[in-house]
Amino acid sequence: MRIAFAALAAATALVVAGCGSSDAGSGGNTVNWWTWDDKQAVAYGECEKAFEAANPGTDVKITRYNVDDYFTKLTAGFVAGTAPDAFQNSVQFLQAYASQHQLMPLDDLIAKSSVDMKKFSVGVDTWKFTDGKQYALPLDWAASALYYNADMLTKAGVPEADVQRLTWNPDDGGTFDKVVARLTIDKFGKHGDEPGFDKSQIATYGIGAMAGRSFIGETTWAPFVNTLGWRLGDKDQWPTKFNYTDPRFTKTMKWVLSLTDRGFSPKLGTFTTGNQSTISDIDLIGSGKVAMTMGGSWSASGFGKIPGVKVGIAPTVLGPDGKRSVLSNSNGNNIWAGTKNPDLAWKWVSYMGGEECQTRAGATGTFFPSIPAAMDNTVTSMKSQGVDLTVFNQYVKDGVLHPSSAYANGSAVQSAEQPLFEAYFAGQRSDDVFPEMERVSQEILAKN
Amino acid sequence: MVTTLQDNSAQVVRGPATTAPPPPLRRKGPASRRNDTWVAWLLVTPAVLGFGVFFAYPMLRGVYLSFTDFHILSPPVWTGLENIRELLNDNRFWHSLGVTAYFVVLTVVLGIGVSLLTAVVLHRLGVGTTVRGLMILPFLISGVVTALVWTWMLDPQLGIVNQLITWVTGEPVMFFSSDAWAVPTLAALNVWKSMGYNAVLIFAGLQTIPATIYEAGRIDGASEFQMFRSLTLPLLRPILVMVVILNVINATQIFDIVQVSTKGGPADASLVLQMYIYDKAFGQFDFGYAATMSLALFLMLVAVTFTQMRMARAGESDTD
Repeated sequence: MRIAFAALAAATALVVAGCGSSDAGSGGNTVNWWTWDDKQAVAYGECEKAFEAANPGTDVKITRYNVDDYFTKLTAGFVAGTAPDAFQNSVQFLQAYASQHQLMPLDDLIAKSSVDMKKFSVGVDTWKFTDGKQYALPLDWAASALYYNADMLTKAGVPEADVQRLTWNPDDGGTFDKVVARLTIDKFGKHGDEPGFDKSQIATYGIGAMAGRSFIGETTWAPFVNTLGWRLGDKDQWPTKFNYTDPRFTKTMKWVLSLTDRGFSPKLGTFTTGNQSTISDIDLIGSGKVAMTMGGSWSASGFGKIPGVKVGIAPTVLGPDGKRSVLSNSNGNNIWAGTKNPDLAWKWVSYMGGEECQTRAGATGTFFPSIPAAMDNTVTSMKSQGVDLTVFNQYVKDGVLHPSSAYANGSAVQSAEQPLFEAYFAGQRSDDVFPEMERVSQEILAKN
Repeated sequence: MVTTLQDNSAQVVRGPATTAPPPPLRRKGPASRRNDTWVAWLLVTPAVLGFGVFFAYPMLRGVYLSFTDFHILSPPVWTGLENIRELLNDNRFWHSLGVTAYFVVLTVVLGIGVSLLTAVVLHRLGVGTTVRGLMILPFLISGVVTALVWTWMLDPQLGIVNQLITWVTGEPVMFFSSDAWAVPTLAALNVWKSMGYNAVLIFAGLQTIPATIYEAGRIDGASEFQMFRSLTLPLLRPILVMVVILNVINATQIFDIVQVSTKGGPADASLVLQMYIYDKAFGQFDFGYAATMSLALFLMLVAVTFTQMRMARAGESDTD
């Protein structure tokens, strides 16, 4: 009886222990690297081959997890000791991970291998934490642009050259507003700028969703309000509040709301459920539901390859002072502080951040390399596939990019601000929401 | 009970006369009976271990964590009542509690109504096992699949339901993305899923009511509705109470269909408590505060269940 009892207890203990130990952190000559981007996983697979060939006996394992599970999986890995040696990270999680000592500061390694950080045109400062240390090499950069259905432009009588130079101001919306009105068509064929236009029955929206989406507005309103000199945080890095009560911001939000009220832009929830697209922007352009949309650079090849539809890319709007201002975002390549193989992990990370790998992987056009020479190669390579990325490269050359700021408690901010934005754009709340949004940002940014 | 005592006393009397004090009762059985205890312990061991490892320990640790600041990557720091203070001032918590209550009321009222009606109709028609088996089918589908399929069917652009609605009214209904519709839609989904199961439970309860009672009712000239109101409902009370309690608990713990469809939106309109707790814990890694909210939810459920049991006299039946 006693033996049976002991056996049972042991079996249970085994089962319980089994819950914690899966594929444990790599050692020896293996480097585990994680990404949430399926396309980048393939693109960096090219670098993997070259790296393994140059370093015989080493084995790089690239694993991709869906972005919805990625950070939960990563955090669970930190706790269980099964996190990857190095991984792609979003700046939203820099503070959470760095402040809890999960990320390895790279300064010493950078100095030791004399990596010239100046070779990166964007993203270096984004990955400096409040302790002044560098925690990642920038892995890519992204910005937004306008994607339009070229045939619809022609049909509506809008010259492409006009769309390449759209102006905007928060009072009457500039030529952007006029073009969007013209591109909107109701079920009876009336354009948005014609008398008798029925805003309740839209066949084609002039511009894709401009409301909701994110509290940063990267692919919606940010490139508009930023031309007025408005910035999200009161400081570039580690802000103490978000400037949601600034009159420049509130005026812009009113204008964004007027786009949906006038029927030029889909209302919240038209093509989304639970803030996720039920129909992707690419399909909306492809099916003619939307004539023009703001989108991220990461979608450029997707838009460029819609069968039977010619999609053009235009830069974001020129503000009242005739200049553009575009938010750029850089993901980082982090090394886990708990890696058993820091030297090899750094070798892989620094190789990935080098011009050779960036050129090789960037040629797929699935991301934009932070190194200008590699970026030029991406543009050339994508041109041969029929996708013109000149617009994005021009941003860099004109110096209109400004990096999105790193801020504390990213997911908490998102979780609290997102519903307030939705309430505003759904018409449940009016201007009184802005002071609350600012106060909430202040509270959450100050935590810890 | 009385007989057992008599048996035992008889054994005491029959015991050896040399034993001065009567030994404890449990020692008195024959040798084979004594071994039963060990076998019994052995048989319950897996269950007890499972309970200890997967319920008791996590729960106690949860209670401990609810008084700490715990971000999973560093050890928990004891903060005393800080989390509870935060909870009392957390508007989103109270809002989500309200949303949950609204969802529970809709689900339970609608759910019990529909299942009761279905069960009674089935009972009167005297349907066979096949129909009852079909009824329970939606319950066998996982919540995630239910939510996914219905999200597509109710989509304002592509959904078949909205295609029909658009033909009739000219405008689609934003089931999941308007604040007025979000919770009722989720409740309807939940009712659709659990209705068959509840109906089968109530059906079983109906079968326990003796047919003679209905015969007597019919002789007294009661109509079908009068018999339902004055005979079926009171006699069904113990089963109904159980179904209501199960439904209240299940509905309060709703998570899967919300996470798959609305994710708590739009503008927090469908932010049920479990959703908020999940977001705090696994989205923001604020496990200490999430544990506090879980504890609050647990205590509330205990209170609600206890009150329901007391008020509905669930232990008694009117058949006696």
